[in-house]
Amino acid sequence: MLEKSTELHDKFWEIFSKQDRNKIDEFKLYMDKFAINFNLYKDGNFIEQSLPFDVIPRIISKKEFTEIEKGLQQRVQALNLFLEDLYTDAKIVKEGIIPREFVEQASGYLKEFVGFSPSKKIRAHINGIDLVKDSSNDKWIILEDNLRVPSGSSYPLSIRDTYRKIYPDFFEQMKIEPIKNYPSIIANAMDYVNTGGVNVVLTPGRYNSAYYEHSYLAEKSGALLVRPHELIVIDKKVYFKNYNGKRIRVGSVYRRLDDDFMDPKFFNPESLIGVPGIVESYLAGNVALLNAIGNGVADDKGIYYFVPKMIKYYLGEEPILKNAPTYLPYFKEDMEYIFNNMEKLVIKDVAEAGGYGVLFGHEMSALQIEDLKTIVKANPRRFIAQELIEFYDEKCYLNKDLQDRKADFRAYVVAADDIKVWNCGLTRYALEEGNYLVNSSQGGGFKDTWVMEL
Amino acid sequence: MSKYITGNVATNLYWLGRYLERTAITLREISTAYDKVIDTDKDAGVKLYDKFDVELKYVNAYDFLKEAIFGKHNANILNILTNARENAIICRHLLDSEAFGEIIELHALFLSTHNNHLEIDYKLIDHAQSLIGEIWNARAMRENKALSDSFFRVGKIVEEADYRIRFHEEEDQEIIQSIFEEIDSICEYLTKDHEDLPKVKKVKGTTQDERLTALNVKIDKIIIG
Repeated sequence: MLEKSTELHDKFWEIFSKQDRNKIDEFKLYMDKFAINFNLYKDGNFIEQSLPFDVIPRIISKKEFTEIEKGLQQRVQALNLFLEDLYTDAKIVKEGIIPREFVEQASGYLKEFVGFSPSKKIRAHINGIDLVKDSSNDKWIILEDNLRVPSGSSYPLSIRDTYRKIYPDFFEQMKIEPIKNYPSIIANAMDYVNTGGVNVVLTPGRYNSAYYEHSYLAEKSGALLVRPHELIVIDKKVYFKNYNGKRIRVGSVYRRLDDDFMDPKFFNPESLIGVPGIVESYLAGNVALLNAIGNGVADDKGIYYFVPKMIKYYLGEEPILKNAPTYLPYFKEDMEYIFNNMEKLVIKDVAEAGGYGVLFGHEMSALQIEDLKTIVKANPRRFIAQELIEFYDEKCYLNKDLQDRKADFRAYVVAADDIKVWNCGLTRYALEEGNYLVNSSQGGGFKDTWVMEL
Repeated sequence: MSKYITGNVATNLYWLGRYLERTAITLREISTAYDKVIDTDKDAGVKLYDKFDVELKYVNAYDFLKEAIFGKHNANILNILTNARENAIICRHLLDSEAFGEIIELHALFLSTHNNHLEIDYKLIDHAQSLIGEIWNARAMRENKALSDSFFRVGKIVEEADYRIRFHEEEDQEIIQSIFEEIDSICEYLTKDHEDLPKVKKVKGTTQDERLTALNVKIDKIIIG
């Protein structure tokens, strides 16, 4: 189902109808030329492929985006307060707002970091919050918080750059918010928490699925792009190894490695990647890590249920943006509801990501539902259930034809001296009509997002 | 920030310069030989590839182009460009975006010609040479990237020196000397601020092998991080 067309959409289609259709091929050639790639491993093989994209942008009015912005700022502020509280005083647990057992069973909760407070007490610096627009009430709904290593921001930057070159008419004739400031927002976040030294973007390397993005953000934010073994820790201080052997102090690391791979001395001694000793330096306050280690507890799919409660607890406010109605089999009442309504719910495995571990009740047989009930009953903390949100489709120009595809929206929210919401984001669309999974790992594509007014 | 660069990126910039120059030089030599193979010297291609230590076989001028560019040997242009593309991806954050795009396009041009079994003719070579020219022009237009540029540049001229020593040592004495002077000058720039770094010596040597060895030793001393 498509959202009702507005004057902004009408204006877009009016300009689009006057464009030479051959420009779409030109657009694709330009994107290919600049190797905007998404790498993946399939059956043990490294595959380098272009991420599918669409030339029709999602359009969000500035007025509507301002509301989203307020809701996201509120949410990220609460999540940061939650993380700082959880790893220091843990009042929210002591006061029973969130069950202690529930927190401690979250795989992202790292008890070794209890008592540590990072630079400026910010933990969730660069965040990707996934939303959809509910077609039943026209409201934006939060589907997921990504507070560890959210990716994807370089894709809208690249497609916008291409758009401006191939289709300048839109930008001349419409008031589309510029987006080039994102790398400077990232640079500001790194500078704000920097403990003294240069900023670096830490990449696992060339064969990581998001290497293109790491490279892009390093270049645009003015940070140095480094691989783990190009950093060294001496006396609890992190240094960058220059080509000539000189060591340069590092004050801030925008890391694109998961917690488990950050430091083989602290996490997995078998790991071949990571910076030995970096956690010790971090705990000594000698380097800032963006995002903080241990954030996984706050973007756990189970903890998601409690975010509205966090907002009320820490800010004394009602959430501006709502969660999808969610049920935790951990609670007896919820378990009953889930078992009685499984055929209309979406069941998610909290340990999975990227669209994996998502089961749609309406697609399952009676036998499969019974099997799932047994599994859920045995592992109630491992699952959540959500009402199926019928979110809007977006028009996509696929195979030389306009087609409707379900699309979500990842907003990028950066916390530093204040909380900034980038006035763009990653709109992801599903590969097939009617499919609810939009993740790139599920074959989904992306498109530009225009925040604009007439 | 432009004074800091990892050893890995520096190495990739250096080899990108070398592979691009190697492509340009090889294509230029192929072009010259192709012209001769058509009607004046059927063995011109054999003689050229003999210098690369490759035994090239072909039946006519078109076949010479095909074997020279895509044949199963070390001087295969597609292989050289695959290496250049890999170097470019690793150090793309320090490359001019237009130059990066041209490198991707250059590789795609040869890959698509190879995979689609398209006919190879002088137009492919002309197009490739024009793209390489654009890459070097884009490099010249960049600002505030003196350090990364130096690695890229030194790769280019080391390759040129290597080529001239191997192929035209007698007639290119003066040019080779001027290239060595430029290499010395860039190397001095790359090591100037660092007393702890061993100073590289001027390229010296009498025989071809000695000069090439001296050149490589010098370059190896620059990147130690």
